[in-house]
Amino acid sequence: MTTTVVEPWTKRPLTGYVAQSSARLVVVMTPAGQVLAQHGFARAVDLMGVAALGAAIIASSGALADLVGEATFGALFHAGQRHGIHLAACHMPRGSLVILTVFGRETSIGLVEFFFDEFAAALRAAAPADRERGPVLAENFEAELGQSLASLFGR
Amino acid sequence: MSLVNFTTREITCKIVYYGPGRSGKTTNLQYIYDQVPDDRRGRMVSLATQTDRTLFFDFLPLDLGSISGFTTKFQLYTVPGQVYYNATRKLVLQGADGVVFVADSQARQLDENIESLQNLHQNILEYGVDIRTVPMVLQWNKQDLPRDLILAPEELDDALNFRALPAYAADALHGNGVFETLKAISAEVLRKLSQGATGRQG
Repeated sequence: MTTTVVEPWTKRPLTGYVAQSSARLVVVMTPAGQVLAQHGFARAVDLMGVAALGAAIIASSGALADLVGEATFGALFHAGQRHGIHLAACHMPRGSLVILTVFGRETSIGLVEFFFDEFAAALRAAAPADRERGPVLAENFEAELGQSLASLFGR
Repeated sequence: MSLVNFTTREITCKIVYYGPGRSGKTTNLQYIYDQVPDDRRGRMVSLATQTDRTLFFDFLPLDLGSISGFTTKFQLYTVPGQVYYNATRKLVLQGADGVVFVADSQARQLDENIESLQNLHQNILEYGVDIRTVPMVLQWNKQDLPRDLILAPEELDDALNFRALPAYAADALHGNGVFETLKAISAEVLRKLSQGATGRQG
């Protein structure tokens, strides 16, 4: 199983959480569905679809909470025949993150919830302060972009 | 906000296709999905009603390959166009790096286009973002319909494009203008990144 991280400070808390909870798949994402870290996915494009749906569920349940006068709802849990999912927001110094955990019969929702709380605390402790971002791409990126898109569309 | 990973040299950007109901937002994504090779795209997710109207969003992840040494991925979203889905439309806009406004070129749809564009501005503003800072491209879709039913690109420019944004005539059903629109918004989003906008980085 692979673990990949966009932000290095997420790696230690994530690997600890996966080992303790026996989760099969874990995605740490922003509320907009951008993946910061993941465990268990082989293809980035599959992962992006899962993240988009997880972020959408959290966003819509948050909006529902607002409509009925709740500050927020807690974690969401769905049980299936072979897999369960646990989906929750984690409040961080740089804004909330959304964490989706998929687990099988080798563990339980109780264990996942227990270790999730520890995971959220570890993430908060590891998170760095916000930083300004400098220029990323070379100024002449447009030619490469044009070539990439042309190849995507077979032109 | 674009996600940039300097360790693995990856960029992920979120682009939202916005516009009134039945203007062709989902058709744009469907055409892109059909044209792009399997290994460069993920599954297209559509949260739609039984009559294929978008209920929450459509989602298509694309792998653009390497640009300036960064593996670049785009997440394409559509919003539900129907007026009463504004709550979900606003949720999808959250964190957008760029917006494609897909207008319906039919003359009788002009009011819906204006209302949707105003709604976009309002929803962006409610996130505390100045619309002028968001990369944006306009698409005049359905230009293949009979001339007496539609407005010409120049007329649509006059009515909707008061910021002189890049605008493209299109017939998304047959793919005309879809590629050009995607290329333009991609360039606008990456140009903003290249200018060193603030955001999340790894």
